[in-house]
Amino acid sequence: MGYIEGILISACINIVCVCGLLLLTGFLGLFSMGHACFLCIGAYTSAILSINFKIPYLPALAAGGILAAVSSIIIGYPTLRGKLSSDCFAIATLGFSEAIRLILSNFNHPYVGGALGISGIPHKTGLLQAVLLATASIFFVYNYTHSQHGKVALAIRDHADASELIGVNIFREKIKNLMISAFFCGVGGGMMAHYYTYIVPNTFGSVMSTNLLTAVVLGGVSSVTGPVLATVLLTGVPEFLRFLSNWRLAIYGLVLIVMMRVRPEGLMGHKEFSLIPIVQLVKRNWKKSDVLSK
Amino acid sequence: MQIFIQQFATGISIGSVYALLAVGYALVFSVFNFSNFGFGPIMMLGTFAAFYAISLLHLPLIAAIILAMAVAGIVSVLMELMIYRPMRQKKALKLYLMIAALGMNTLIPNFAIQVFGGGVRAFPSEWAKSVIKAGGITVPRADILAAALSIIMLVLLWMFLYKTKIGLGIRASSFDSGTAELMGINVNLVAIVIFILSGASAGLAGCFYGMKYSVYPNMGTVAMKGFVASTVGGLGSLPGAVVSGLLLGFLETMISSYISTTYRDLVAYGLLVAVLIFMPNGLLGKGMHDKI
Repeated sequence: MGYIEGILISACINIVCVCGLLLLTGFLGLFSMGHACFLCIGAYTSAILSINFKIPYLPALAAGGILAAVSSIIIGYPTLRGKLSSDCFAIATLGFSEAIRLILSNFNHPYVGGALGISGIPHKTGLLQAVLLATASIFFVYNYTHSQHGKVALAIRDHADASELIGVNIFREKIKNLMISAFFCGVGGGMMAHYYTYIVPNTFGSVMSTNLLTAVVLGGVSSVTGPVLATVLLTGVPEFLRFLSNWRLAIYGLVLIVMMRVRPEGLMGHKEFSLIPIVQLVKRNWKKSDVLSK
Repeated sequence: MQIFIQQFATGISIGSVYALLAVGYALVFSVFNFSNFGFGPIMMLGTFAAFYAISLLHLPLIAAIILAMAVAGIVSVLMELMIYRPMRQKKALKLYLMIAALGMNTLIPNFAIQVFGGGVRAFPSEWAKSVIKAGGITVPRADILAAALSIIMLVLLWMFLYKTKIGLGIRASSFDSGTAELMGINVNLVAIVIFILSGASAGLAGCFYGMKYSVYPNMGTVAMKGFVASTVGGLGSLPGAVVSGLLLGFLETMISSYISTTYRDLVAYGLLVAVLIFMPNGLLGKGMHDKI
């Protein structure tokens, strides 16, 4: 039971982070190579707050998220202005995440702990909290993307110039989405810190960023439920394929390439997963069998 | 003063590696307006080709370097033919090209770790390891070779781009690939030439990096510094790429020798952010932005 519970909790943590990334990469079309740095900032902030200042769980997570959102402005402001190529943003996220990791590894303050990281974080992320937070983030992101904000983001992704002509402030929209996305990743990082009870800077490397991106791309670029299902899949399936664990990253890379070549819009594409068609199908078949029996 | 000259020589040699990588990025960007983030694996595979050519086949150094350039060029063209071109023809979003490139960046090094082993190896060339002493300054032969061959490569590239007919075609396509195609330039051929050239420069840079440091499957991450250099110089600008590559190598060496080696890697990204804030188009770039 503890094993399955562990998988479920990590899936929920990943869902919170993926909810953030899919706003940015899926809906806005900005490519981030270093989203793990926001997890890192969130994890460190909430861990320091809850160990050294005895702040309760939720406020600590929120503080981590807010700091991550504020720090995302450092990347966003120089690279999203004007008509800079989106390559600049991608490389700046990578650079920022490497820089954060390097600074934290060499920062030997007792609160931060340098390369050894922080240990002895209170274990506060149980199954209940994880599921509740994941549900809350799915709810928020689903409503956000199906509101005007999400439509504006899609417009910017598909036709930046046309959307600017009809009066969309591209820079503000991009910064807004980046900050929300960083907030979710910060909260997810805080949950991770309170689940594993220790964190080291090297956890938050490029592997983690790639994992998050794979979930978003596999799930579908303009869907919320797609990436969420893909996250559950990507967290659960490696547990059954332990014998392949050395090849996992290579397979993730292959998945990314094949997806982009064959079905770039992702498994779910622009659709949302919902139970209504299944219910209708069952109803129809039930009626048919009803008619036949008469 | 001696220390300064010593560091200057080191800076030039590592800077020439960055310059070669940056030129590779700039070549692809200037025509296709996207950055080939799968550049690191190309460089890594080229270097491993040279490594095995020397250690197993006992080829001389120069032959191994040429082999590395050839292998890197072929890998790069395969990438273009199998992944980028079909996606471009489907008019895929630029985001999709970047994700596919990141996929290669993940797939190839991890594949190489399983096949070659993840260990760190020394570049097996005794010739390159020995040093030349002149007036109290010690310079490894590898550094001199790196600087000399990079300059030769860059001059050849310049001659190719500005003195030959295919070079004219490349420059025309980089100006406006649609119109160039209407004028009878075979853009597909231009694409292949571009990817061969950028791959070859990556292979050369990889060999020098391997000689200077070591050969290992994740060495492709250094290509990101090349990308930083190409952004700092102005995306798609070849002279900008060379200048900023050398500048980056020089700054890194100076900071690691006079201030702190720990924060050496911060230099590149700090420079990137500073340039993006104050000169968003790069040092020598024209107004580069996403095309409509």
